[in-house]
Amino acid sequence: MKVSLFEQVPYRYMPEGFENQHNSVVTAPYQVVEPARMTESLFSAYAELMGGARAGFDGICVTEHSQSSYDISPNPTLLASAVACAARAEHLDVAITVLGRSLGKTREPLKIAEEYALLDCVSGGRLIAGFPVGLSYDANLNASLPAVETRERYREHRELILKAWSEPLPFPWNGRFEKYGQVNIWPRPVQQPHPPIWIPGTGSPGTLRDILSQDYVFVYLSWDGPKLTGRQVFDRYWELADELGRDRNPYRLAFLQVVAVSETDERAEREYARHLEAHYRSGLGAIPHTAMAVPGYAEPAAIEGMLRSTGPAGMLSRMKTATYAEIVDSQVAIVGSPATVADQIEAFVREFRIGNLLVMLQNGSMPRDLTEKNISLFTEEVLPRLRPVWDAEGWENHWWPRDAAIEGAV
Amino acid sequence: MAAGPDAVRDETVEVWDGRLRLHVKVAGDGPPLLFFHPLPGLAWGPLLGRLARRHTVYAPEHPGTSPGDPQAIREVQTYWELLLIYTELAGQLGLGSERPVAIGQSFGGMVAADLAASFPRLFSALVLLAPLGLWRDDAPIPLMEMVSGPPSDVPKYLYAHPGSDAAQAAQALPADPAQQAKAIAQATWNVGCTTKFAWPIADHGLGRRLHRVQVPTLIVWGREDALVPVGYAEEFGRRIAGSRVEVLDDCGHVVQADQPERSWTAISGFLAGEA
Repeated sequence: MKVSLFEQVPYRYMPEGFENQHNSVVTAPYQVVEPARMTESLFSAYAELMGGARAGFDGICVTEHSQSSYDISPNPTLLASAVACAARAEHLDVAITVLGRSLGKTREPLKIAEEYALLDCVSGGRLIAGFPVGLSYDANLNASLPAVETRERYREHRELILKAWSEPLPFPWNGRFEKYGQVNIWPRPVQQPHPPIWIPGTGSPGTLRDILSQDYVFVYLSWDGPKLTGRQVFDRYWELADELGRDRNPYRLAFLQVVAVSETDERAEREYARHLEAHYRSGLGAIPHTAMAVPGYAEPAAIEGMLRSTGPAGMLSRMKTATYAEIVDSQVAIVGSPATVADQIEAFVREFRIGNLLVMLQNGSMPRDLTEKNISLFTEEVLPRLRPVWDAEGWENHWWPRDAAIEGAV
Repeated sequence: MAAGPDAVRDETVEVWDGRLRLHVKVAGDGPPLLFFHPLPGLAWGPLLGRLARRHTVYAPEHPGTSPGDPQAIREVQTYWELLLIYTELAGQLGLGSERPVAIGQSFGGMVAADLAASFPRLFSALVLLAPLGLWRDDAPIPLMEMVSGPPSDVPKYLYAHPGSDAAQAAQALPADPAQQAKAIAQATWNVGCTTKFAWPIADHGLGRRLHRVQVPTLIVWGREDALVPVGYAEEFGRRIAGSRVEVLDDCGHVVQADQPERSWTAISGFLAGEA
């Protein structure tokens, strides 16, 4: 099992009750920010990711969002690049996962090909390349691209990037959205023909089929925890794998889980409850649901399916008023002593066959010292129990930076 | 064509080298009239019924908005292609010899105005009901805010009187949950299909072409229009030589909903004089 530290970059001092008056994205008023606290919030995220690399995580993981107060990461390759260089200087063997630059949002896909290639080179071949479509508010409101074209852009951009990485000679690209006379990027990824490709998604059948057909990794960034929606999505994924003739190798699947560890369950609640509540309320809970699906982003059949779904409702619609009890009961966050946390994670990891776990240990207003405590307790007391989970089945992880690529690189 | 004004039939017309089958609602008898619908798609309301008493009304559905054919929008890659497709449609409907009147509303008003500017011999007269298509920095059009905001906020952009029967009818949903889900999905997708050519700002340079419009033109606007501010009425009027501007008081973006009689008086009077 591979376990990575996933980190968003929130402004950590959102005013109390912000979510009752404002959205956390697109129109979030910057006037709430104090500059010194912004620099501290941003630097803490960099420092905590480095702390995670030192503490023994297999990888670090970042995402892209513009015009957002809960993830101030307009270009995650900037953040990833700083960690990649520092980690290499300290001889830390840590994968750099960018989840990623949004391919349905970008107006400059070749820039992504170049940035990822550069990151793969400077990290010594340790990049995991995330190819997300991009959230609707980001692609269709922030970047203001027509929603109905989002997936068409995504497909063209992915094809272009893969070709730019692997085609030995300069080539022209006459795409629908992009036209280039001579594509010949420098550098190319160390990992050829491409770094491992992970695709974040919400689990729509079309996306899952695409991922399995292409032999990529599905990353489920649900925010709902494994209990509420995991069952539907993961069962569908493995059934589809059977149908498409893919094995049930757990490394085909990555899952994000929010985790908070302390010495005891009681202490964990005392330390983390208010930060978790603030995170969901003023962050994810303050994204208007209409901004998650601007008309045209989802096909009519998908909208109809969502409206008619009789399955267990996720937490997302209730996050604006989420209480600690709801968050913990639903496993949206797994919180408690090392034993409590390890038991709960191990159970769902085995049940759903998750080979790549991403844990988010900083949330909302959580200060750096508490985050660092969370990181040490997790890596010292939880991680050792999770790492060997899949050893007995003997699967090979084909979707991790290959040792061969980085030989002699550190 | 002899069916009564209240009988609306659905015709499909193959265009774009066979890649598109456009659905066109047809009713009435008399000189031809093309109606270009607004952002949410085509709804056959009282205005079209009244027009069908004097004209043969052809109301095409924007590609992708016809139930059962959502992917048709993929066949229209650019706004320029959309305009060309409508010229092909007019030809297929046999409207080449007898030039039709064009009426366009909001998004459809932009399309109708641009067709009239790009192909000056296509129409015989033009009626624009609060069209999109221009942009002034001092009068921003909150199209993105309306489309991405809560559905419950939409009426405040469209109507001076959101409680009117016409406004209520336009927002009504079926009671049956399955039918309701289908209707919401279709309505949402329709807006995705039209905004493809109006996003994030519906300005394709129309202002630089409007001087080419050569046919008699009526521009109708609601003074309280909260989507496309009334200042644009004067912008269109100034750019289209000889055009007539009618601004209706106590009236929002959907003029025939807020002021059914006064808007009809303006439209029917103009058509009686010109068509």
